[in-house]
Amino acid sequence: MQTKTERNLFVKILQWFDPRSRQIGTWAFILNRITALGLTLYLFLHLIILGNLAQGPDAYDAFINFAKNPIVILGELLVVVGGIIHGLNGIRIGLTSFGIGNAYQKNLFIGLMVIALIISVVFAVRMLTA
Amino acid sequence: MNVQPSLRPNENVWLWLLKVLSGGLVLILLAVHFLVNHYLAPEGLLSHAEVVQYYQNPIVPIMEGIFLLVVLTHALTGMRGIIMDLNPNQSVMKIIDLLLIIVGVVAFFYGIYLIFAIVGYGRGA
Repeated sequence: MQTKTERNLFVKILQWFDPRSRQIGTWAFILNRITALGLTLYLFLHLIILGNLAQGPDAYDAFINFAKNPIVILGELLVVVGGIIHGLNGIRIGLTSFGIGNAYQKNLFIGLMVIALIISVVFAVRMLTA
Repeated sequence: MNVQPSLRPNENVWLWLLKVLSGGLVLILLAVHFLVNHYLAPEGLLSHAEVVQYYQNPIVPIMEGIFLLVVLTHALTGMRGIIMDLNPNQSVMKIIDLLLIIVGVVAFFYGIYLIFAIVGYGRGA
C-alpha cells in the first residue's frame, strides 16, 4: 500500500516534466510553479545570509566580498528573471481570478512574457557587464 | 487556458484570496524594496556601515518588516498550493499546515530580531 502511494507520488512529480500535448496555459502554470519554488528558496537563503548583519561588520563585509563572484551574480540574475516572470504572470492570474480579461488571457500571457524577456535582457546586460 | 478558480479538496477560499492579494502587495513592496535598496542608497547597501546608517530612518525598518510579513504570507500560501497538487489527504495536510505556520512565524520573528539588531548597531549597541 505504502509503495503504491509512493509510486503514485513519483509518477505525479514526473508528469510535471512531461512536455507532450501541453497547452500554453499549462506552460504558464509550470513556469509559475518553478519560479515560485526558486523564489521561495531564495527568500529563505536571503534571510539566512542577512543574519550576517547581526554578526557585525566583518561577517557582512566578508559576505559582500564573496558575493562579487560571477557565479553568485549569475544566481542573482536567475532570481531576478524568476521574479519578473512570476510577478508579470501573477498580474494575469490576479486579473483573471476576479474575472477580468479571461477572454484574452492567452494573448495577455504572451504579451507579459515578451515584456519579461525584454526586462530580463536589460538586467542581464547591466548585471553581467558591471 | 482555463484558470477559473475552482476549489480543490483542501483549498480554502480565504487562503486563496490571501494569496492573490498578498501577491499584488508583494509586487508593489518588492519594487520599492528593490529600487530603494539598490538605487536610493548611495553605495547600494554593500557595506555593514551603510546598511546600519540606512536603517536609522524609521521608514526603512517599518517598510522592511511589513514586506517580510507580506512576502512570507504569499510564499507560504503559495507553497501550500503547490503541495496540494500532490493531492495529500486531510491528515497530511493538517501537519503541513502546522509546519507552514511554524516556518512563517519563526522566519518573521527572526527577521524582526534582525531588523532590531541592525538598528541597534547605529545606537552604539
